[in-house]
Amino acid sequence: MSESGVIHDIGYQRYTGPRLGPGHSARALYVHSVRSAYGLGRSPWAKVLPIGLIGLASLASLIIVIINSQLPEPVLDQVGIASTFTFAAAVFVAVVAPELVSVDLRTNLVQLYLSRPLSRSSYALTKVAALATATFLLFAAPMLIMFIGMAFSTDDGVPGVLEEFGALLLGLLAAAVHAVLLAALGLPIASLSGRRVFATGMIIGVFLLTAPISAVLSELDSGTIGRLAGVLDPASLLNGVDQWLFDADVSLVSIGSFGPVYGLVTVALAVLGTMAAVWRYKGMKS
Amino acid sequence: MNPTIIRLTARALLGRRRVLLLLPMPIVLIGLTLLGVSSEDEYVTPSDWGPLVFSNLGLAVILPLTALIVGSSVLGLEIDDGTITHLITKPLPRSEIILSKLLVAWLVTTGATALPLAVAAVIAGSGTLAVGLVVGTALGALAYSALFLALSVMAKRPVAVGLIYIVLWENLLVSFVDGARVFSIRQHATTIADAIGDTPLISSTLSVPTALIMVSVFVVAGTVGATRRLRSFALTGEAN
Repeated sequence: MSESGVIHDIGYQRYTGPRLGPGHSARALYVHSVRSAYGLGRSPWAKVLPIGLIGLASLASLIIVIINSQLPEPVLDQVGIASTFTFAAAVFVAVVAPELVSVDLRTNLVQLYLSRPLSRSSYALTKVAALATATFLLFAAPMLIMFIGMAFSTDDGVPGVLEEFGALLLGLLAAAVHAVLLAALGLPIASLSGRRVFATGMIIGVFLLTAPISAVLSELDSGTIGRLAGVLDPASLLNGVDQWLFDADVSLVSIGSFGPVYGLVTVALAVLGTMAAVWRYKGMKS
Repeated sequence: MNPTIIRLTARALLGRRRVLLLLPMPIVLIGLTLLGVSSEDEYVTPSDWGPLVFSNLGLAVILPLTALIVGSSVLGLEIDDGTITHLITKPLPRSEIILSKLLVAWLVTTGATALPLAVAAVIAGSGTLAVGLVVGTALGALAYSALFLALSVMAKRPVAVGLIYIVLWENLLVSFVDGARVFSIRQHATTIADAIGDTPLISSTLSVPTALIMVSVFVVAGTVGATRRLRSFALTGEAN
């Protein structure tokens, strides 16, 4: 392992065994972050909110399954779940993202991370990935419940189950898009403040404040501007992507023929957000 | 009320750079109102965009969010920093501490929300709506401040709990379950503003007496609850 230039002996107990390298530290940090997002390995109080949110989402999905199985046409499909639960996921990001980065900042733990072989950019990328994974799980749990429920209530035997499985995969794909964008937006904002109060406030502020802006713009103009107003707010933007790529039934915005624009803005925002997170830690004193 | 606590709290809240966080919200509000007023499309009437700006943005986002940040930081920051020990070892009645904190939170929240809303209403051409919005916002801010202040002494993560109340209860549950709106401060503020304003720019569903009674229930329960909790407050250190 070529790790010259890394000072391992920082005055604590000597260690002469094998060193696992930066890849391993990134993986360890990732696993730790995903676990702490759900409060695993923490006190019961830390588990209440994330587990409660995922429980609520699962309960809502269970109710939808029961309604779906009673009606001839399902009221909400897998992609619909992704679109409808965006706000719950935004709350989840606002609650969890400060947990992942603000606490490290406030307790000066980030300096300890950054003084070890783990590089600054991989710290930032790992945290974004962990937040995206945690958010994806929030979408995946209700989708899985819906798949199980719909598979059991299908009348077409094995083809029916396979059809539901296809819908599940499509839903999970939509969930991944949602999770990546929400994480890439939430994490850099959270990393601005060491206080959870303000980090949470800023994240949810972005989501709540932009929604009426795009609503008013699309109300005032029914042409191009109105169709494009949805890109200004993450929930409508993601719904636009769902409509364009996955033919979502739920429509929060009318995207017209501007689907590709919604897709492009989503990709651009996700990349920009991730870059902002990396850039935030680049210049940090350690 | 204790002037020293009021002064110190106001300084801790307003004397830092983070007070600028409150600035974007009024700018967005007034900007959107100008956009709506200047719209030349004849199919667009004020009742199309009015509720979106005043109700969905002003009373549903700006008011609760400001109150959440302000209300949970007046006492929450002291708990976080540990300076609460200095406060509760002074020979002061707990109710005095809570009331002073509540006063600051209320004044700051009202100032930061009622003023821009009134300006926006005047731009939209309705003086009565401006008055209604100021009264509605002031009462809503009082109820929200009391609620979030109480949360900041009772819950481990007050902002997260408050956020869930705002987003899941007031925005999501209320649109599905009709009865939930009785416990939604946003609806109380909207009702009061609508009763005084009486324009198509805003619409409400509760009755005024219900709104007034529920607001006072929130204020009294929040204040009494926070005071009682602070009497037996245990310092647990960093709330991780």
